[in-house]
Amino acid sequence: MSTSLIELRDVVKIYSTAAGEFPALKGVNLRVNSGEFLGIVGKSGAGKSTLLNMINGVDQLTQGEVIVRANGKSISVHALREDERALWRGKTMGVVYQSFQLLPMLTLVENITLPMDLSDNFHPRQSKDRAMHLLELMELEEHAKKLPAFISGGQQQRVAIARALANDPPILVADEPTGSLDSVTADHIFEVFEHLVADQGKTILMVTHDTSLSGRFSRCLTIADGELSGKTAPADGPRRGRRKR
Amino acid sequence: MSLQVRSARAGRVSSRLRHRSYPKRVEDFASDSMIELRGIVKRFSNAAGEFTVLKGIDLTILRGEFVSIVGKSGSGKSTLLNMITGIDHPSQGQVVVNGMDIYSGVTESQRSRWRGENLGIVFQFFQLLPMLTLLENVMLPMDFVNRSGFDDRPQRALELLKMVGLEKYANKLPVLVSTGQQQLAAIARAMACDPPVLIADEPTGNLDSRSAATIIELFERFVAQGKTIVMVTHDPSLTARTHRNIVIFDGELIDEAVSKSLPQLRHRHMIEFTKLAQKQLFRPHETILSRNQHVDHFFMIRKGHVEVVLQKRENREVILSELNPGEYFGEIELMRGGKSIANVRAGDRPVEVLALPRADFLRVMQESPITAESVGQVVQKRLEQHRVVDRRKAGRA
Repeated sequence: MSTSLIELRDVVKIYSTAAGEFPALKGVNLRVNSGEFLGIVGKSGAGKSTLLNMINGVDQLTQGEVIVRANGKSISVHALREDERALWRGKTMGVVYQSFQLLPMLTLVENITLPMDLSDNFHPRQSKDRAMHLLELMELEEHAKKLPAFISGGQQQRVAIARALANDPPILVADEPTGSLDSVTADHIFEVFEHLVADQGKTILMVTHDTSLSGRFSRCLTIADGELSGKTAPADGPRRGRRKR
Repeated sequence: MSLQVRSARAGRVSSRLRHRSYPKRVEDFASDSMIELRGIVKRFSNAAGEFTVLKGIDLTILRGEFVSIVGKSGSGKSTLLNMITGIDHPSQGQVVVNGMDIYSGVTESQRSRWRGENLGIVFQFFQLLPMLTLLENVMLPMDFVNRSGFDDRPQRALELLKMVGLEKYANKLPVLVSTGQQQLAAIARAMACDPPVLIADEPTGNLDSRSAATIIELFERFVAQGKTIVMVTHDPSLTARTHRNIVIFDGELIDEAVSKSLPQLRHRHMIEFTKLAQKQLFRPHETILSRNQHVDHFFMIRKGHVEVVLQKRENREVILSELNPGEYFGEIELMRGGKSIANVRAGDRPVEVLALPRADFLRVMQESPITAESVGQVVQKRLEQHRVVDRRKAGRA
């Protein structure tokens, strides 16, 4: 049980709104092993993004615990101070969103170098080489000096993935990464993720509303009304996850 | 973020953009101009052949102006904006911003540095870095160009966030605030290095109307402080609030006298008028049309103002009205037939008008009933005014 990379224990998230309290997550238990490509599928408002924000510590949880065992440390994510958490996140998790959010005035290679320059993980001389290497991985090396405006949406998303990988995090979290792409391009992005799991040993958590993708993850869960259903523990580990009726 | 970490980070970020040279100053640049596009042509080539997106654009934007650019999708408006920001480069022509030729003999990285210090840019999809807090996102441009004292940057970033009403979200990541708030943070970031020019590409295109209103109010405040703003937008409620509205159609600019005089016209008619009309210049007080003269043109005022004058007995005259740029005359005679019912002359400054041949005007009025109706209403109003003045004066004489 202690071997899982990510573990959520009875995670509750309640938002207070003008209309009253809104429970976005109602006691979620989940375990993810290293090397899994986990899909979480649900409709808009089901709690998908909230769940990701709990796992990467972007948002505070109301109750429960998130433990991530990566880079040789076991971290209770929400016990960290905010600045510690930001540093930890930078080294542990890359994030990919539906909109690519590349800086339009920086070239592709500069966009990827930036997170390395902002962290202290790589020497500045190394960071450019690494950025070029990541662009090669994404088959975009010939565009390295272009600005984002001059490449397609699918290519921009691949740059965003390369940027998420800049500090070599073991985990990638992706929030509807194919949501604004056509189906052929989306398929290509999905292959990039599959390749990162198979060849680079990354662990990927992806949330999507697209049920047609369900069969392609190594494990797929469904989220509805703030509750997860499906196999909330990896197949090869003991099951602890609370099963829905 | 700890100061030590920030210090190391900022040093690395700025070292990548540290360059000695810079775009050169041009000699022939009017002191009240902020942006001049001179004969800009932009061609793209693709598998289907060569495609000209901008077909020789001349445009001057003055210091302190708030300018909107509109045009249909594919008309070239984003390309035009990319020419000003230096994100793309022209095939032909010169772009001068704040006195500097931004394309001649300048490398991409020199232009990057120049851009960081002179332009704030706001995009439709905000482009905030997801792994940085709002405060860190706002500090980033200052780190890029090594602007403000290093220790002062967090404080300045916080003040900028305060200016857009986001100080209490300073330490949040972009994903935790609304899209409207993300755009406000992006605006704070654009103003980080206190640039004289703000360029915005559809800044409200992805926002609800309340957030859009907040943003336009903010822009008006910047303009009041002396900033120059150029904004591409689809939203007529925004263009109504700018000083000038520039319409681009199929890679060419529509003369502002045409788009302002006859805003209901279709863009293809506007560009037709722009090309068919002749520019005419008049000295101060020079007669443009005499009473009883046969009128064979529709006149749109580009510069200066004109006076519509009724000559009375005993050489007394009465000024019926003063018309300004974006207004027109000659329509009464063209729409109703007949000769000029008043004298029209230049005011006390030189006047520039666009004169459109009668046949072209009448043809397009037939094709654009909505414009014909609007011109018709002006005819009614002016005739009414004319009758009142004429009768009263006649009574007195």
